[in-house]
Amino acid sequence: MDLLWQVLVNGVLLGGLYALMALGLALVWGVLNIVNIAHGAFIMLGAYVCYYLFAGLGLDPFAALPLAMLALFVFGYVVQRYLLNLVIRAPMFNTLLITFGIDVVLTLLAQLAFSADFRTINPTYAGSNFMLGSATVPFVRVIAFGIAVGLTLLLWLFLTRARLGRAIRATAQNLVAARLYGVEPRRVYALTFALGAALAGAAGSLYGVVSQVNPYIGGSLTAKSFAIAIIGGLDSPLGVIVGGLFLGIVESLTSLYIGPTYSDVASFGILVLVLIFRPSGLLGRTA
Amino acid sequence: MSAPGNGASGGAVLLDVRNLSAGYGELAVLNDINLSIRTGEIVAVVGSNAAGKTTLLRALSRVIDCSGSIVFAGQRIESLASDAAFDLGLVQVPEGRQLFDRMSVHDNLLMGAFRRRDRAGVTASMERVYTLFPVLKERRAQWAGSLSGGEQQMCAMARAMVAAPKLLMVDEMSLGLAPAIVDRLLDVLADIRKEGVTVLLVEQDVHSAFQVADRAYVMETGRIVREGPAAELADDPDVKRAYLGV
Ligand SMILES: Nc1ncnc2c1ncn2[C@@H]1O[C@H](COP(=O)(O)OP(=O)(O)OP(=O)(O)O)[C@@H](O)[C@H]1O
Ligand SMILES: [Mg+2]
Repeated sequence: MDLLWQVLVNGVLLGGLYALMALGLALVWGVLNIVNIAHGAFIMLGAYVCYYLFAGLGLDPFAALPLAMLALFVFGYVVQRYLLNLVIRAPMFNTLLITFGIDVVLTLLAQLAFSADFRTINPTYAGSNFMLGSATVPFVRVIAFGIAVGLTLLLWLFLTRARLGRAIRATAQNLVAARLYGVEPRRVYALTFALGAALAGAAGSLYGVVSQVNPYIGGSLTAKSFAIAIIGGLDSPLGVIVGGLFLGIVESLTSLYIGPTYSDVASFGILVLVLIFRPSGLLGRTA
Repeated sequence: MSAPGNGASGGAVLLDVRNLSAGYGELAVLNDINLSIRTGEIVAVVGSNAAGKTTLLRALSRVIDCSGSIVFAGQRIESLASDAAFDLGLVQVPEGRQLFDRMSVHDNLLMGAFRRRDRAGVTASMERVYTLFPVLKERRAQWAGSLSGGEQQMCAMARAMVAAPKLLMVDEMSLGLAPAIVDRLLDVLADIRKEGVTVLLVEQDVHSAFQVADRAYVMETGRIVREGPAAELADDPDVKRAYLGV
């Protein structure tokens, strides 16, 4: 029983971070209709930005996080404006190829620039824990969870309340009408992609704090983000939170009862089941 | 005067179109169109399928290139971009409504104000539009896609009204709607005119268009073939035979 509780707590904490990872991918997918294969590589870059601000400049990782977001925002804006805009009306297959190419290049460059060694962001308080019932909870994981959920809610508020957020949703839903009422799709796309990259930057910073980073983590993070986006649907950041928590808990339970090596199998098994029975996501509207 | 308008013909010319031709690439659709609308009028353009009515609206709202001259509110606009024409107050309610289906009614209306920066003015416009369409106020939190067909058309017209139009161009307002609902919408057009907005109504449904319009133009394969007060056109034997089924 105590073990189950511990595993559930771990799963929820992991799930919050997963949600933040998937958020940028789901946003870009829903608005630009691009599945960004390089999303995991963006997360990896965010982790390295945070790592070097921490290890090089001695910045606290949670203070470095906004800077990593800013760096990735600018990076994402440039990638969208000067690369993806060339193929914005192209079929899904072409954009998949291009983002796959970006993923390969970024991974290669990261390996050259940062070496293949594992890095960990280890602030002095990294070892402190507290007890939640019978479960031991690492302090940094709770902060990471809080930031992840907080950013997700902020994005939700932005999309539902702000003028530009409304324009982003409108462009996603009906391009013709959005144009008719004066929205410039190119600006909306660049902003959305940059926001997605900034969220990846935040997720990478938190990932570096709770786990280990090397240049090759991108692939599996893209895959997990993809699964969460499918489970939670593309309509709302709140759906992505649910998808993230769901995947986090399932993975933790699977490693407890079946074995750690099977946790990926379980999450992708669920993905396949969702695609078969609820193609628009667990929470999404029924088609 | 035979038109139901209340002294509408007294207004200044708002839109004046001379020798307008337009099309899609090699395909010429509009041929030498001449048309003018005075402030405060409701003018109908009727014609059967593929006559070029929607193409005319696209040319007026500067979505497609054209030749000839378009003067709107005293300004030449034929070489303007669509955003600039929109900012002058030339606003379209598109064929098929084109709502943001998974956004609330309220958010749909706010999108009409996307380019407006006068917050107080937008709030006032929203209030006025909700007075004009009380049913939309009731349903403001509901997704636009879940409205009935008639309500969706109202939502599309209300969204355009929030853009503060001088000329509201409504494309196929009655499409797919029951006669009773079309009558409701025609009343709304009269109310919109009372708000000081001039209306260009494009319709296949000649009956309903002639009920509310002061004047009308009849289009056939990209040309204007008849024009005049709606009441006179309704009695025209050719128009009767071709469009009114008598
Ligand atoms: N985007 C387009 N590209 C090429 N041709 C087009 C395009 N839109 C319309 N057309 C053609 O232009 C002609 C006029 O079409 P338009 O849509 O203006 O007719 P309409 O009078 O609005 O018809 P309806 O009453 O059916 O809406 C048609 O022959 C149509 O095939
Ligand atoms: Mg048409």
